Amino acid sequence: MNLLDFARGAVMKWSIAIFLFGMLWRLFGMLLLRRTHDYSEPRVHAAGLGALRSIIRRSWPRREFQARTAYGVTVSYVFHIGLAIIVFGFVPHILFIRNLVGVGWSGLPGGIIYFCAVITLVALVMAIVRRLTHPVLKLLSNFDDYFSWFVTAAPVVTGLLAAGHYGGRYEDLLAVHILSFELLLIWFPFGKLMHSVLLFLARGQTGAVYGRRGAST
Amino acid sequence: MSKDDSIGESLRKQGISRRAFMKFCAATASLLALPPGMAAVMAETLSRARRPSVIYLSYQECTGCGESLTRSFSPTLENLMFNVMSLDYYETLQAAAGTAAEAARKTAMKENWGKYLLVVDGAVPVGHDGAYCTIAGESAVDILTEAAKGAAAVVSVGTCAAFGGIPHANPDPTGAVAVSRIVKDKPVVNVSGCPPVPEVITGVLAHYLTFGSIPELDHLGRPKVFFGETIHDRCYRRPFYDEGKFAKTFDDEGARNGWCLFELGCKGPVTYNACPTVKWNQGTSYPIQSGHGCLGCSEPDFWDKGSFYQALSTGTWSGGAVLGAAAVAGAAIGVGAAIVSRRRHAHSEKEKQS
Amino acid sequence: MSSDINTIHPLETEGARLSIKKPALRYDRQGDMSDGQRVEAAMRTFVREFGATSAIYLESCIHCGMCAEACHYYVQTNDPRYTPVRKLEPFKQAYKREAGPFAFFYRLFNLKPRVTADELQKWQELIYDSCTMCGRCTLICPMGIDIARLVGQARHGMFQAGLVPHELWAVAERAEREGSPLGATPKVFKDRIDWLSDENAVEIPVDRDVADILVTMSSIEIMKYPQAIVATARVLNALGEKWTIRLDGYEATNFGMLSGNSQWQKDLSMKMINAAVRCKAKLLILPECGHAYGAMRWDGANVYGKPLPFEVLHISEFLARNLGNGRLKVRNVPKSVTFHDPCQIARRGGATQAPRQVLGKLGVDLHEMTPSGDGNWCCGGGGGVVTIHRADELRYKVFQIKMKQVDDSGAEMLVMSCSNCRQTFDDGQAHFKWDKTAHSLLELVADNLVQ
Repeated sequence: MNLLDFARGAVMKWSIAIFLFGMLWRLFGMLLLRRTHDYSEPRVHAAGLGALRSIIRRSWPRREFQARTAYGVTVSYVFHIGLAIIVFGFVPHILFIRNLVGVGWSGLPGGIIYFCAVITLVALVMAIVRRLTHPVLKLLSNFDDYFSWFVTAAPVVTGLLAAGHYGGRYEDLLAVHILSFELLLIWFPFGKLMHSVLLFLARGQTGAVYGRRGAST
Repeated sequence: MSKDDSIGESLRKQGISRRAFMKFCAATASLLALPPGMAAVMAETLSRARRPSVIYLSYQECTGCGESLTRSFSPTLENLMFNVMSLDYYETLQAAAGTAAEAARKTAMKENWGKYLLVVDGAVPVGHDGAYCTIAGESAVDILTEAAKGAAAVVSVGTCAAFGGIPHANPDPTGAVAVSRIVKDKPVVNVSGCPPVPEVITGVLAHYLTFGSIPELDHLGRPKVFFGETIHDRCYRRPFYDEGKFAKTFDDEGARNGWCLFELGCKGPVTYNACPTVKWNQGTSYPIQSGHGCLGCSEPDFWDKGSFYQALSTGTWSGGAVLGAAAVAGAAIGVGAAIVSRRRHAHSEKEKQS
Repeated sequence: MSSDINTIHPLETEGARLSIKKPALRYDRQGDMSDGQRVEAAMRTFVREFGATSAIYLESCIHCGMCAEACHYYVQTNDPRYTPVRKLEPFKQAYKREAGPFAFFYRLFNLKPRVTADELQKWQELIYDSCTMCGRCTLICPMGIDIARLVGQARHGMFQAGLVPHELWAVAERAEREGSPLGATPKVFKDRIDWLSDENAVEIPVDRDVADILVTMSSIEIMKYPQAIVATARVLNALGEKWTIRLDGYEATNFGMLSGNSQWQKDLSMKMINAAVRCKAKLLILPECGHAYGAMRWDGANVYGKPLPFEVLHISEFLARNLGNGRLKVRNVPKSVTFHDPCQIARRGGATQAPRQVLGKLGVDLHEMTPSGDGNWCCGGGGGVVTIHRADELRYKVFQIKMKQVDDSGAEMLVMSCSNCRQTFDDGQAHFKWDKTAHSLLELVADNLVQ
């Protein structure tokens, strides 16, 4: 068995298993904690609407905050959109998803994907440089921030290397690429990458609270 | 024709012109990607060389490799057999049978001890002391061990001989192994493929016969000249892969337009072979050209790498039960953690009140 | 009246801002607990606080640092210590150890070391002096984390650990013992009402057995802006309402909440709730006070444990309602006005439009600040910060944002609907010798009533 078979076989199975295991552990452990009922008389009765509005609106800072946050927001947007295009637009990735969950769609030309990957990588580097130099981010950052960055950037780098046949035989590069993604899957439930799920819960919660108060959500 | 004739002599005796011989050498040289001047060297060497003895052993195989070999058009097998080498033992083609055949092999081995070229196709079963494949009462592994001792070099023809191939595939009931697992002290060239491209087999033989040495090999013991690049990198359908144009079924518009077969499970990106360049049946076509994805047959364990129709970027694992169990365990521990937290909360609430 | 409070923590009632007098020696650690006991008490409280809501918030932070850009303390100092979510660091640590889904492992492998008393002491300044719980961070957070709410919860732990800033603890204790943080005891209040009603020839009903409306006041108004009482009376009398002030439940400020003592918060809120229930009030009017609005309008029912049997309105909402339905009439005020949104009423309370409707009826030329409404900057005095002497320097620094906003609006008059904001403005005005004076929306209406 070579490295590629290892990556496509046992490691993939167990990384997905750990991903599911961790996701459910963390979500249940959080969601089943005590909840208190809010007895106050709502100003606006559609709390669900407030939650939904908040989930959408928080994707972009309010106008008064835009000037001070433009750089960080732009960089994050670039790599988030870039990652989305790479993950959901590259045919081999779509086939991976289809094989796993049964839903597929048509993809984009390889050239566009490679271009996006380079842009994404540049934005990721900008993000980490900012994290390492901005006084606030430097102070806030911990192992989770740096490791989560690493497991996000690694598949992009290894994917580009595999596509360009740089640094080894293709099957080995592909195996390393798949393994790097599997590392991401394993880390996902235990670190900040979980924000891709939690953002709906946290935004929704705040949206519901301030929505029923009639305040901005 | 006497065995001791040089190749040049034997050709002249058969009335083959110098011109025809040069053509053969040029074709073989170009196939091996040798520099242009090498054709002349080859002609010179071959015409002076004494035809070396070749012993061809067949074990756990389907004779597909032999079928392939007989379809080589440049150089043709006949050419090699009659002009270039002395094929002293090959069960499939030889007229002799039984004790006579075995005697011929033993004689050839004795006469050419240390000099003959040993060609093997098929895997070698080592389970139950080699009982799964015996010839004239001797096990394959014993015959091979003995024959290899006197060989100058060994050529494993086909994926079974090179890597174990189909006999070695799960569950491998006979303990089938590659030739290189048995022969450790002689140079072994793996000419993999199921079957290998005919010209790749004859080309390797011609190389050995010309230079008396084996060609440069990759990390799996395959000649780099034929196995240096992936099918995908040399595939004429590659531009469609780059453009994101894929056939999704074997009879859709994409398939008719000749688009990339990646989605249909083509293993071209991780398969090293000469199919797209040398092609088959006198350069007529190769699997992808005829509309089917590459199976990856020249790679080790190709039979056990998931379905031939499953895309390369998907997993080859099975066992949804593990995932189900992981999900259930995760949920259970999560619920447990929440209960513990709630208990700790209730406990502190009680403490507060007391 | 407990005399020892007056000896130990004498009130400062003369200056532009009300608090206790600047302590010669600060006692920012209360009680005689050992360090271990302090940590234990803080932890126990945190564990009690951590429900699913806080858990989701604490798990969600991606350390993007955007909250710093919304915080007046960071914006004015560029000191990363003031990054709002970092103010929660010890509490995040406690959560991970004590209540999170992986808490068991954190404890087993000591992945997050236990918070120390010294760390908590160090964080006191971040949790109290440099956070008004104004909620701009909540508004900017791309994950929607309600950081201000979490700071409120963190204060609960700090209180139990006996780690509250000297002044805030002192006024909170006074509120618990006397019913008012600033010496507005029932007796003082009653004297003021008698004097005000004589002075201004206005009827102020006290302790009616039955009334439709219960009016509550902020002790800042009672002690510093008594005209607010007169203004409220004028408005309610003009409407012919059957209303009352009750001496068993008039203090709307809640220093139990601000200091972090949930029992005291409950005690203070229950006084008003019980008073309203006793006089069968259909409506409880909250004064011009920001946190009083949050404490009663949104937390009142939860403290009570069931829905309140009466409606709760901020005075600006009450004015907007009665000006809107025409029961109350006002003269046109031909002035340009800018309005300061009190955080707890607008951004965190949702009553953002009410004061604007009132100003509309007054016919003023409204010059909105930039930003305004729910995005408006905090005055820097909320969350009890204005009482803390050692926080003054920082408070003046962040107040400069407000001065610039007001100056840039170009309005002649500055109006707000929170007496705590108002005293912060008064104090800032005195400190910077600024030419802008803060006015009350209620008083502006009362002064221009058409009978």
